[in-house]
Amino acid sequence: MNKTAWKRLTKRTEFYIFIVLIALIAGIQIVSGGQLLEPTTLVTILRGMVVDGMFALICLIVMISGGFDLSFPAISAFAYSAATTICVNQGWCETNPLAGFLLAILFGAILGAFNGWIIANFKLNTMIVTLGTQTFFTGLTMGLFQMKEITSTLPASFRALGESYFFEVYNSQGQRSTLTTSIVFLIIMIAVTSFVLRKTMFGRALYAIGGNEVSAERAGYNVKRIKFILYVAVGALAGFIGMVRVCLARQSIPKAMVGKEMAIIPAVILGGASIFGGEGSVFGTICAIGLITVVSNSMLLVGIDSYWQNFFNGLVILIGITISAVQAKRQRR
Amino acid sequence: MSEYLLEMSGICKAFSGVQALDHVNFHIRPGKVMCLAGENGCGKSTLVKIISGVYVRDQGDVFFQGQKLDRITPAEATRLGIQVIYQDLSIFPNLTVRENLAINSEITDRRRIVNRKRWTKTAEEALSRIGYQIDLDVKMGELSVADKQLVAICRALLFNARLIIMDEPTTALTKREVDALFRTVRKLKEEGIAIMFISHKVEEIFEISDDVCIMRNGKNVFEGPTADLTRDDFSYYMTGRRIQPDPFVPEHIQEKPVLEVEKLCADPYYHDISFQLRKGEILGITGLLGSGRTELAMSLFGLIRPDSGKILLNGQPVSIKSPEKAKELRIGYVPEDRLTEGLCMRQPIADNIMLASLDKVSRRGILNHRKLFSEACRWVKTFSIATDDPHKYAQTLSGGNQQKIVLSKWMNNNLDILILNGPTVGVDIGAKQDIHHLVHGLAHKGLAVIIISDDISEVVTNCSRVIVMKEGMIVGEMKSEEITDQRITEIIH
Repeated sequence: MNKTAWKRLTKRTEFYIFIVLIALIAGIQIVSGGQLLEPTTLVTILRGMVVDGMFALICLIVMISGGFDLSFPAISAFAYSAATTICVNQGWCETNPLAGFLLAILFGAILGAFNGWIIANFKLNTMIVTLGTQTFFTGLTMGLFQMKEITSTLPASFRALGESYFFEVYNSQGQRSTLTTSIVFLIIMIAVTSFVLRKTMFGRALYAIGGNEVSAERAGYNVKRIKFILYVAVGALAGFIGMVRVCLARQSIPKAMVGKEMAIIPAVILGGASIFGGEGSVFGTICAIGLITVVSNSMLLVGIDSYWQNFFNGLVILIGITISAVQAKRQRR
Repeated sequence: MSEYLLEMSGICKAFSGVQALDHVNFHIRPGKVMCLAGENGCGKSTLVKIISGVYVRDQGDVFFQGQKLDRITPAEATRLGIQVIYQDLSIFPNLTVRENLAINSEITDRRRIVNRKRWTKTAEEALSRIGYQIDLDVKMGELSVADKQLVAICRALLFNARLIIMDEPTTALTKREVDALFRTVRKLKEEGIAIMFISHKVEEIFEISDDVCIMRNGKNVFEGPTADLTRDDFSYYMTGRRIQPDPFVPEHIQEKPVLEVEKLCADPYYHDISFQLRKGEILGITGLLGSGRTELAMSLFGLIRPDSGKILLNGQPVSIKSPEKAKELRIGYVPEDRLTEGLCMRQPIADNIMLASLDKVSRRGILNHRKLFSEACRWVKTFSIATDDPHKYAQTLSGGNQQKIVLSKWMNNNLDILILNGPTVGVDIGAKQDIHHLVHGLAHKGLAVIIISDDISEVVTNCSRVIVMKEGMIVGEMKSEEITDQRITEIIH
């Protein structure tokens, strides 16, 4: 590798996250006596990454555009609760989950459009807007529509999708773990997000807007429209991801998403996305989500009390935000 | 066909009753550099926005290559070959040079998918127009201002530009970078491209422009060839008053130095710096950007820790560890970038003035707002800061008046030494002299003043002694009778 390419690589947060991830895996592998790299643990970690990984990707694209979306868990919760309730009431989705997913995507897109409309038209701070809509959407779910938990009556096809797997593995104690088929959703989303961000003018527009919104407008981008589309897409995806979660958990709990944004956004920042916009990559984001999932899984493995999980999540928030701030400072010089 | 590329006559534009442009006439010849000059708020930028299609004129005629234009939209302006390079350059610091160069034409061509090869081709074509070379993979944010500007010019050229409007392009450039920019401008001229150059720096205007248009209060007060204009006339048209150079004559310089600096070093900024400063004098420190002049000043205010050497105040060795300590020692510092370092733009003028002396208007940590306000009003009057209400935000003031706030903020503190870094950067000619007079007055009252500036004529007229720095060393020192523009320039380069 030549010198400038190396220099450029070492400037990227993603590079360090990747190294930390590898070092961490190696460390835990030794401390846990080889338990981490056992097939059962690995498939559990992969399963744990499906939903969080997809959520992180939608946070990433918003952050690249210079925004913050705090409302995606609320959108997601509304979308899957409403979709599941309708499916149960109508007796849909006993054999095919498609209708449920389409409903969730539709509901998500509608709420996302509401976000997008406010943000694009009134040019308000996205964090403030989504902080407001988050509460508003949660109010819709819990208050206006009084959505209930759905567990045993969950449509059979949802359950089947959540339980389906590619292969099963056993550990030395004979415990069984399976690699869920829904990992495909994560893989597709990684591929598509990557392509959109790097290879389409829409993706480049997000970077441009995050870098300098006024310049983006002067360059000829229709910033208003792009932002609107972005928030609709993010809403739709939040609905979709919520449905995946319902299938995996085999239950629909309207309150399950509360506080999710505070777990995901720091991870995205840790993965190299800038809180000021214009920076961030799919690779870094996935590495960071991997890192967090590995840490939380390993704590159980190594026998650390699960209360410590909060401690580590907090630590990750601090580290992630510090990195972002230091980098922004360096860039301004 | 008309002799002019762009011809505008009787242009009027009002914003909610305020007449921003009042029957402005304006002509640009192809292949010529036309300077649009005027103090802040005279309507320069409104005129530019009408040409580029951002604003619609209320009245007046516009001809482009002899053709009458009824309405200019931004797209229409681009099609005609009018490109504006804004002061902020409209670049994307987070993207590579390649992407910055290619982005505009990709959007205009309504491309959907990224094609790196096509981008590279566009970028290389843009760079070749002025024979400029740079690594396409570097992020724009890592470039110097001068390089960013060249990239922005290259990008503008991609659209078969016939008229390039540059909005104060030299503000953040060093002398050498300005020379490089002017070489590029001359090259563009040779290709028949007209340049509209917005500036208020006299020297630059006389060096580069063929024609000048000077505006004042929304009217153009002069339009014609630069050759017909003298420098005195120029500043008269700019300000509406005749400004005589008024050199500083020290009245009473104390025998004993108040500040002595001995063999001060701070790697890698400056080395082996020794000088003395007396009350009642104005000491100039000049040198190119990067000569260590700013870092030296920062050391005297406790912002950079020197590695070795001594600082003596009134004969006593002191260590200035922090700005608080410097304040305690009665040293004040007005930074170069007053907008980010010296002022809270979105705070009232009164609060800004009193910011460094809140303890004077408070008791046991509780602020007395009435006292703060009356004290602030006193300074507004003393320094004749142009505002009708000190409750208004600092950002409502012009550059010169903002600088006055920063000055008053420190004057409030009974200082012995005041260090001014680039005190009139970005300030209009008229306000510039007001500030100089203020500083003269302070020195006469017995303050020791240091002016750090790369504006050599400023140093020449306002300092009783000058130190010239180069690459971190003092390379020359001269007394008032020996100070001339020419001598300083010789030593600097």
